[in-house]
Amino acid sequence: MTESPNNPPDADSAEPDAAANRRSLLRAALIGGGVVGMGGLAGFAGKRLFLTEREARPKPPLGPEFTYDVSRFQQTDPAMVKFTEEKRFATGMERPRALALGADGSICVGDGSGLRRFSAAGEMLEEMPLALPVYSVAARPGGGWFVGHAGGIRVLDAAGTEAGWWAQPEGKFVPTSIAVTGAAIYVADAGGRVVVKLDPKGKKIAVIGARDLDRNLRGFVVPSPYFCVRMAPDGLLRIANPGEHQIEAFTTDGDLEIAWGRGSFAVEGFCGCCNPVSFEVFPDGSFVTCEKGLPRVKLYDAHGGFSGLVAGPEAFPEYLKAANAGTPEVLNVGIYAAIDAQGRVIVLDSVGATVRIMRRKEAAP
Amino acid sequence: MSKESDLSRRELLKTTIRGIGLLGFGGTGGYLVGRESQSETRWQIDADKCIQCGRCATDCVLEVSAVKCVHTHGMCGYCKLCTAYFEPEPVNLDEGAENQLCPTGAIARKFIEEPYYEYNILRDLCVGCGKCVKGCNMFGNGSMYLQVNHDLCINCNMCAIAVTCPAQAFRQLPASSPYKLRGKGEGGK
Repeated sequence: MTESPNNPPDADSAEPDAAANRRSLLRAALIGGGVVGMGGLAGFAGKRLFLTEREARPKPPLGPEFTYDVSRFQQTDPAMVKFTEEKRFATGMERPRALALGADGSICVGDGSGLRRFSAAGEMLEEMPLALPVYSVAARPGGGWFVGHAGGIRVLDAAGTEAGWWAQPEGKFVPTSIAVTGAAIYVADAGGRVVVKLDPKGKKIAVIGARDLDRNLRGFVVPSPYFCVRMAPDGLLRIANPGEHQIEAFTTDGDLEIAWGRGSFAVEGFCGCCNPVSFEVFPDGSFVTCEKGLPRVKLYDAHGGFSGLVAGPEAFPEYLKAANAGTPEVLNVGIYAAIDAQGRVIVLDSVGATVRIMRRKEAAP
Repeated sequence: MSKESDLSRRELLKTTIRGIGLLGFGGTGGYLVGRESQSETRWQIDADKCIQCGRCATDCVLEVSAVKCVHTHGMCGYCKLCTAYFEPEPVNLDEGAENQLCPTGAIARKFIEEPYYEYNILRDLCVGCGKCVKGCNMFGNGSMYLQVNHDLCINCNMCAIAVTCPAQAFRQLPASSPYKLRGKGEGGK
């Protein structure tokens, strides 16, 4: 039936037409919705699955020039090694980084959670949990320990109980090494890049080594928290300048006297950007030095002449494995040394968390 | 008959155009939803897991990888002898090509004051091989490390490097803070 204004549909036939229109509208709406939905799904899937999913075009492997290779420096001539390992024991500690010997010859080791004291035979004698990570430790005259923490020095008595806290609130105090004499305590502050001189009661009495070109002091270059101070038998302080690869001699008043050392990956020099990380002085004024990166414990005479090794890189397989694998485990780990009354070198390896007791080869039984 | 046929052709054409329009409308909507949902995360390298294997340089779908070395200057020691810049035993401590570690010359060295030098990554030259990162990690303090640069990355649904990374160092970070910079924690840039 054709509709026209002159011929309107009658009421009876209009109702079925309206119902048919509604059905048709509903069908169209459903179809339209479905089409939109399908389009949406296709668009979503296209973006999610295809448009950003690209095949990598094969590229040639990197050539040898892209490989960081220091393997030729990781082997040393065995004839240069003057010490032999007498004893090794595990500390059971997490990345230990502080080492000192007590007056009784016991070996004190510090890590992020406190101190442990061992006998030379490796037996743990004492455990001293501490609330702050330990950066350094030194024996206290009369018994006990000075313990370096970020922000201050903790004083422990012979029983291991706290006898004082010497706060160092100025700047970022990171005490990575402590040297004790009868008159003063010298603290190497890696944060301030100076050595702080304290009296026996903890009062700051001087600052040594701050940059002062009028006094010919270039300042210490300390790129990472490895900064060592020791008192030598000649009465001069020895302070590492790791960024300059040198050990510098200062009077206790802070005047620079002499310096020795040079940067080199070769065994005679100090490798990397910040070595030596620690050192110790023998009673005859000669040195034992420790390096990170290429883990080496070396010997120098009193004037800085290279005289051999205590242990070469090959003696630290766990360290080398981590270093060569490129894992960040090699960050912020070092090698530390102390010298006992028998002239043996006590070596702390942070990566292996072990203590080794090294004896001179000619003195070996 | 001819009129009816014309009418049905017009109807067919109209319906087809409507259908294509609806499909396009839905497709655009779906594309936008897809893009929005994908932009919630971004691929990034956890520098504490990275082992500088070199695959960032070779496995990215881009011709030159979106992974580049970044340098946190606040951590850097500004060393005269930078083990990320110099060959292990350089002839001289200067900018001569024979002394430089980076095969593409992507690190610039600038004198600040004796004995300090500043090192900057030349991003356009960096291919993300990680050779300098290894030198910095092994001897320095880790101020140089690799990161996916998100103005270059096309954020593949399944990152081609993440698939092959032997250290599982790739992870997805919120798109609003897609970097994991040392010394600043996650989300820094």
